[in-house]
Amino acid sequence: MANRTYEVMYIINPETEADKIEKLNEAVGKLIEKEGGTVIRMDDVGIRNLAYPIQKKHEGHYVLFEIEGTGQEIMELERRMRVNDLILRYITVRVDEDRKTATKLRTKREARAAKRASFRPTAEATEAQAEA
Amino acid sequence: MAENDLEFVDDRGGLGVGEDVIGDRPRRYQRRRPRNIVPDYVDWKDVDLLRQFVPERGKIMPRRISGITAKDQRRIAKAIKRARSMAMLPFVAD
Repeated sequence: MANRTYEVMYIINPETEADKIEKLNEAVGKLIEKEGGTVIRMDDVGIRNLAYPIQKKHEGHYVLFEIEGTGQEIMELERRMRVNDLILRYITVRVDEDRKTATKLRTKREARAAKRASFRPTAEATEAQAEA
Repeated sequence: MAENDLEFVDDRGGLGVGEDVIGDRPRRYQRRRPRNIVPDYVDWKDVDLLRQFVPERGKIMPRRISGITAKDQRRIAKAIKRARSMAMLPFVAD
């Protein structure tokens, strides 16, 4: 199966000690590797204000993972996040397809711009025309 | 306005100045134009971008106001909903 890219973000209880958070993030990374995925990026965003209270908390510790894999590791990861009571919220978003269409759009636009530029008379061409 | 046969008569009846009737005559909006340029990839984590499409109240701005294409509107709306579920944007702001 073709590999997929996912973004997994979760919010940890802000009252958790720093070393516990680190341990959790490490465990997530290890779990992904074990299930056959690869961690592309890991970003510990840190404490951020929540737009609305979750479990009576107004802040949350955000962590973002970018994972490449088959989807198998996501299943296991989500199951574990669900039962972990340190994690207030999590979300998984598949990003590879949207990114692919975005690059396609960009290359298309660039090609069009290049084509248009080739038709546009250059400064020298207009000068030559004026002389003639 | 001699050459103009049409005269604008307020035939709504009983309504004072500045009052509005919904469903009477179509309300006029400003001409739609792409005010905001939506990037090729709408990142649901980009709160600053999404905030442009979320007015005070926290609702998603309708397309007739945002003036973006239907495709972009769908992508923006989806991103806003994702951001909401992660408490990065409010469901309702009061």
